[in-house]
Amino acid sequence: MSARRANPHFRAELKKEGKKMNQIRRFANQKHTAGYVFTLPFIIGFFMFMVVPMGMSLYYSFCDYDILSPPVFSGLDNFRHMLTDDTFFQTLKVTFFFAFVSVPLKLLFALLVALLLLKNTRLSGFYRAAYYLPSIIGGSVAVSVLWKRMFSSDGVINSLLQMVGINCTVSWLGNTETAIWVLILLVVWQFGSSMLIFLSALKQVPASLYEAAKVDGAGPIYRFFKITLPLLTPTIFFNLVMQMISGFLAFTQCYIITEGRPLNSTLLYTVYMYQQSFEFYNTGYGAALAWVMLAIIGLITLVLFATKKFWVYEGGF
Amino acid sequence: MMKRTTALLVAAAMTTASLTGCGGNAGNGGDESTNPEVKSSGGSSSDEMVFAWWGNQTRNERTQQVIDLYMEENPGVSIDGQPSQFADYWNKLATAAAGNALPDVIQMDYKYLDQYVENGLLLDLTPYVDNGILDVSDCNQDVIDSGKVDGQFYAVCIGISSPALVYSKTVAEQAGVEIKNNMNIEEFLDTCRKIYETTGYKTNIAYTDNEPFMEYLLRAKDVTLFEDGKMGGEAADYVEYFELYETGLKEEWLIDPAVFVERTKTTELNPLVYGTSPENMSWCTFHLTNQYSVLVGSAAEGNELGMLTWPSDNVKKSNYLKPSQFLAVSKDAKNPEEAVKFVNWFNNSVECNNILLAERGIPVSKSVSEAVSEKLPEPDQEAIAFVNEIVSPNSSKVNPPADAGASGVIDLLNQLEEQVCYGQITAQEAGTRLFEEGNQMMAK
Repeated sequence: MSARRANPHFRAELKKEGKKMNQIRRFANQKHTAGYVFTLPFIIGFFMFMVVPMGMSLYYSFCDYDILSPPVFSGLDNFRHMLTDDTFFQTLKVTFFFAFVSVPLKLLFALLVALLLLKNTRLSGFYRAAYYLPSIIGGSVAVSVLWKRMFSSDGVINSLLQMVGINCTVSWLGNTETAIWVLILLVVWQFGSSMLIFLSALKQVPASLYEAAKVDGAGPIYRFFKITLPLLTPTIFFNLVMQMISGFLAFTQCYIITEGRPLNSTLLYTVYMYQQSFEFYNTGYGAALAWVMLAIIGLITLVLFATKKFWVYEGGF
Repeated sequence: MMKRTTALLVAAAMTTASLTGCGGNAGNGGDESTNPEVKSSGGSSSDEMVFAWWGNQTRNERTQQVIDLYMEENPGVSIDGQPSQFADYWNKLATAAAGNALPDVIQMDYKYLDQYVENGLLLDLTPYVDNGILDVSDCNQDVIDSGKVDGQFYAVCIGISSPALVYSKTVAEQAGVEIKNNMNIEEFLDTCRKIYETTGYKTNIAYTDNEPFMEYLLRAKDVTLFEDGKMGGEAADYVEYFELYETGLKEEWLIDPAVFVERTKTTELNPLVYGTSPENMSWCTFHLTNQYSVLVGSAAEGNELGMLTWPSDNVKKSNYLKPSQFLAVSKDAKNPEEAVKFVNWFNNSVECNNILLAERGIPVSKSVSEAVSEKLPEPDQEAIAFVNEIVSPNSSKVNPPADAGASGVIDLLNQLEEQVCYGQITAQEAGTRLFEEGNQMMAK
């Protein structure tokens, strides 16, 4: 050992190594390094489970791929096929109807309930939790199954109607006119998360504004439309964008409750995509459908942002 | 400074932890088959086999017992049982195939056999029959042949069943109709009419389980539904099936299709055994014999069930013995010989089948079937007698397995059937569209 240490060559090496260690130490002590290392699990996960699968899906969308045999490049065939696929247009129609009806209804409910829960009473904490509950459990399979039972012709809904004297034997799910509304109702029922966001926004409206308005003789309705609503527009906008996106991506409700029946009147886009990919083994076509959906959602979000300047108030209080 | 170093260490530890977490999953994924080193260190011991099947609660429990028994008898072998529902099973299996991570032992359906063989996903079992590891000498040769594709043996049939029109004896007696085997279509329609007139009970014609019955009707005309990448016969042949619905709709004895949207598709909610009034129940259902005992078990008290052949104008041509399920070994199997040994045991062991109790259909091995049949509950014995005495002497060979593309056609059939039932299109249109559009799909 000592002989080696005496060796000037070895000394130089040791020095070099020491320098290296110093470099590593310096790197490790830099401010942003810990940040990077902490986010590493997410970054690696994001690449493995998001970026790579997305890249593969993009590739498959240009392929004739049936999962079982290897994909064969087929250019734009999948996208061309969409133009002649009646079911594709049907699902677009259903999905747009579903999203454009359920989202505004949901926001309306969320806002109304938020206004009701604004008052601080002893039970308001409980009510807030209670109204938020559907948002947590509403997307689950169990609730979908329950919903399906409730709306069957011998289910709770019809029994309740019969109790109050309306002799109703409508098959809500079996009827092309009503089936989609059952799904919409389930989604609207999950207004909790929008409600919480509204609630916190409502609390930020300064009381002084209301007081000033009261002094000027403005009634409650006038105050709501002239003070509350304008100041809420940024929150409404945020909720609208988020809910619109999730509206277009709704899956569980349709998949569990109706499977698109009757007559494809409730066939949501994502369920059709799933069917094509994994039930009919047209995975390439399914991937193409997914990318078209991405484009559609992107476009709608873009349009929403473009309308922002006409109705969203972004000044201070 | 110290703090920052600690933070860094914590972060590093977290990263490693979460990534090894991912690593376990990734080990089952893509690279496994191309990299033998990864394969052996895939987390589980190298002897671990995966056996995947679809089924119901009863089947899952019995199969798990059988697996436990096998592991007890063969120390060193470890089998991981993975049950699923039928529809999910095929999605899962296809995805696993794409990732080269198929289970070692796969429960196979006749309909899917061709697709899996064509894509080279299954192991050829012929060598194992030749060297005696797989013993099929005790089995009916025709049945064994149903597991062959292009002369090579890929899947061992583990149960036989046949189509059965399960009906309510109670309702039939109430209506005073004479019920018999080998009815022709007109006799069947008369029965439906009479039962509706006298009792109000409706009829469910194979709704959403349509493809086997359509195939059954076509067989009477010597037409094969899926044949060499196209649909057999001509458009007119396909109209008859839809006409049954049209007639039923017009004469009002057809059950409202809304019933099927409202109910989850399980045997227990079949309108034969479940419903609140004759209006939303059916006096019969188109099923297979191996489901008979589940139906009997789900029927309300006082609703006695029986079995008949499906109606056809030529039952001898239409009817067949169906190899209801197969076991196959995947080409990804880590230890094919062990997997084949398990399949052999599953097929030939009386002990094993005493637990399974013919729930997958009548055991194929003659000695096993004889040994087991005494132990079966009554409905299963009835089913065996039905297959052996009524169907077997009056049937023809089963159709070849369907080609790829058939699942799209079956979906089209579902849609057209629904449209006929909702009065959107005529039977004539439905038949023509099924034939034309179906052929386009098959040609793709």
